[in-house]
Amino acid sequence: MRHIVKPLLRHRMMPLLVVLQVALACAIACNALFLLQQKLVPLLTPDGVGQPQQLVVAWNLAPRGQPWPVSTLRQTAAELRAIPGVTVVSLAGSWPMETMAQMTGTVLADGRDGKADAVIYIGDHLRSTLDLKLVAGRDFSAAEDVVVYKNIGIDDDGPTIITRALANRLFPDGHALGKVIRIGDQADAGRRTVVGVVAHLMRNKFSQDNRDDIDYSMLFPGTPSNWPVPMFGVRVRSAAEVASVLKAVKATVQRELGSNMIQGIDPAYETYGDMRQRMLAQPRAAVWLLSGVSLIVLLVALVGIMGMTSYWVQQRTRQIGIRRALGAKRSDILHHIQWENLMVMSAGILLGMVLAYAVNLWLMRHYELTRLPWQYLPLGAVLMLALGQLAVLSPALRAAKVPPVVATRSV
Amino acid sequence: MFDYYLRLALRRCRQNLPMVGLLVLTMAIGIAATMTAMTIFGALAGEPLPGISSHLYVATMDAREAVDKDNPDYKQPDSLLKFSDAKALVDAHHAMQQVAVAASLTQFARPDGKRSEKAYGLMAYGPVLQVLGVPLRHGRSWTEAEQASAAPVVVIDTEVAQKLFGTENAVGRSVTLGRRDFRVIGVSAPWNPRVRMFDVRQNQGTVMGQKEMFLVPAQAALDAGVGPLLAGECGKDAPVASFQSAAVAQCRWIETWVRLDTPATVATYDRFLAGYANTQHDAGRFVYPPQAKLVGTQAWLALNHVVPDDVHLNLLLAGGFLLLCLVNVAGLLAARFLRRQGDVAIRRALGASRRTVFVQHLVETGLLGLIGGVLALPLTWLGLWIVRMQPVSYADAAKFSPGVFGVLFALSLIVGLLVGILPAWRVCRLPPALQIKLG
Repeated sequence: MRHIVKPLLRHRMMPLLVVLQVALACAIACNALFLLQQKLVPLLTPDGVGQPQQLVVAWNLAPRGQPWPVSTLRQTAAELRAIPGVTVVSLAGSWPMETMAQMTGTVLADGRDGKADAVIYIGDHLRSTLDLKLVAGRDFSAAEDVVVYKNIGIDDDGPTIITRALANRLFPDGHALGKVIRIGDQADAGRRTVVGVVAHLMRNKFSQDNRDDIDYSMLFPGTPSNWPVPMFGVRVRSAAEVASVLKAVKATVQRELGSNMIQGIDPAYETYGDMRQRMLAQPRAAVWLLSGVSLIVLLVALVGIMGMTSYWVQQRTRQIGIRRALGAKRSDILHHIQWENLMVMSAGILLGMVLAYAVNLWLMRHYELTRLPWQYLPLGAVLMLALGQLAVLSPALRAAKVPPVVATRSV
Repeated sequence: MFDYYLRLALRRCRQNLPMVGLLVLTMAIGIAATMTAMTIFGALAGEPLPGISSHLYVATMDAREAVDKDNPDYKQPDSLLKFSDAKALVDAHHAMQQVAVAASLTQFARPDGKRSEKAYGLMAYGPVLQVLGVPLRHGRSWTEAEQASAAPVVVIDTEVAQKLFGTENAVGRSVTLGRRDFRVIGVSAPWNPRVRMFDVRQNQGTVMGQKEMFLVPAQAALDAGVGPLLAGECGKDAPVASFQSAAVAQCRWIETWVRLDTPATVATYDRFLAGYANTQHDAGRFVYPPQAKLVGTQAWLALNHVVPDDVHLNLLLAGGFLLLCLVNVAGLLAARFLRRQGDVAIRRALGASRRTVFVQHLVETGLLGLIGGVLALPLTWLGLWIVRMQPVSYADAAKFSPGVFGVLFALSLIVGLLVGILPAWRVCRLPPALQIKLG
């Protein structure tokens, strides 16, 4: 080992520059990959909605003056239901992938210490319109769906359907059915009895969510009153009928509500699949950006290490020749250069890990970021070591080819 | 001497084109990434109203009048006030200037019904043009008397004037807003804050400043049935208003901005504000402790995360990347220079001082930096174009401005010199004899 370390210490500049470069690349790559992973969460999580292209959504319906009375909205829903090709219609207060109306809050398992930040979707026929997969319990009954709340409905008691992820979080023993969830920690908070569990349903607020709580959603049946931003979900029987239903939905909503919509803000009519596409465009763009950055960072580091190592090798051509003349095998020289690279890289990586962690801590203090999971550090280390070995391969092979006769030349 | 070094540098660059290409490209990518991030940051991070907003403060307090305990969205006292409170604050005249404003979106029509135009603008109580520095092209602002009598007068911008009347100078014409005809008393130049500054609580996710196409006295607008675009917080038991409602007497929908020039007046106003809010609390109107506070424009924008974290993070990322590129290029340059120790040795032996050798190498790296800068120009343009194509709220900020050239030039020169210092110092350090021997 000493014959590798000693020359490194004697000619410090080149190894130091490599160390510095590796440390920087490591710190940037670790943090960029971590950000990347966070942006990937909504892209990789199933949203739970079945047949997204066969679900037409009418949203951004903004009433002028007072909110529409429930009777008007129900009348519109009935008209929508009468459109040929429509199987089920939901009149809802908020919708997956729609961020204008969000109902979020802390919910608690009654009588236990389970607690989670969940999103609430309120509306009638929600489960069937969204085509959510029921994994336990039942759907809301017709009687439960016709309830009209005095207000939004968050403070009212009643039944609820929750996602499996939320059920596991609040009731880790696996028996969520029949249990009560309190919406908020006040004494008079709404109490909801779990009647069903669905496989997945993504929340509509995913700015800073992580893999766990992105699937914490609850469904309440019924219709909110005085709700300024209602929306309609319309389930279409077959893909062939989507275009005609979309047109009919637009015409119906315009006819029923158009005269009382605000000027200047256009309602949106589109399939849920398109909505999802648009909402996820931003994280998707960020993923491209961050992967591009990570790739370029690694590429720059690769080129840099390669360039510096090849100079470092070239400078020692004579010494290598002497070693060869004294009996070192080609593989000895190859391994020497590789070991050397490994040590320099390790020093750089060690420094880089500390730097990555420090940067993350600083970012956490100034921005809404979470802690860098420790798993990223060994992952980054292995990545950088592999990169180093890749970079050193060609200079090392060239060094190994140095013939012993070089030793006899111009000293 | 300088141009000799320059010619020398050019000659040397030609000797190893692939290597020079790599060095220049690395610098160019680093510079372009930083320039892209800096352009966006520069467009968003500065003052919303240059020279004006640094003196503007918004009044915040918990002005809720009914118990609203479990509203998870209400995390801190906000800026929305009832019109009556905003009026009281403005009428108190405790600051140099004060105005209450709320965003509105409404239809403007010619009384003859021939043309109409949708326009965003501000409903205001107080001398809004003076406080915000809206430039007036024709006519005048409204007077205290007109405001007090809720006279139907309005200031529109040149674009609305042009569209409705086919001329910029529309002073004296009539426009219909809601149920009434308003007289145009002034025409302003097109005006918008650089980033969103009014009503940020209700417009989360909006970054770019709204172009305000009209300014109207709030009471006159309400009388005509024109309300704020968003009715704000109406409280739990109040009748719910939604959008564009003029029935907002029960709602908190307007914010009060004051202009204060010295820290002492800020402190005094802060005390006045706290006094006002506490009086309301003591009288039983505000049910929660008001925690009234005056917040400066920049602090208010930061508090409400108007400029997304991504903008800052991207700048940090780009800066870190540039640093990596610098170290990288410095290393490659050191290798390049040290390979030519022979040339340097001969120059030294012929009498060149260390200083001249150092300068010669810096000239070379400076040149490389500038070439990198030239290459970075199209790359920056490309980067900004890519950002503009992204579905991000700040896409409009990614515009190539002439100022970019200057910064780019300076940055590439600095980069070129910075990466050269270590290698140039290294190459001139060895004694000439040893260098000749090595060569």
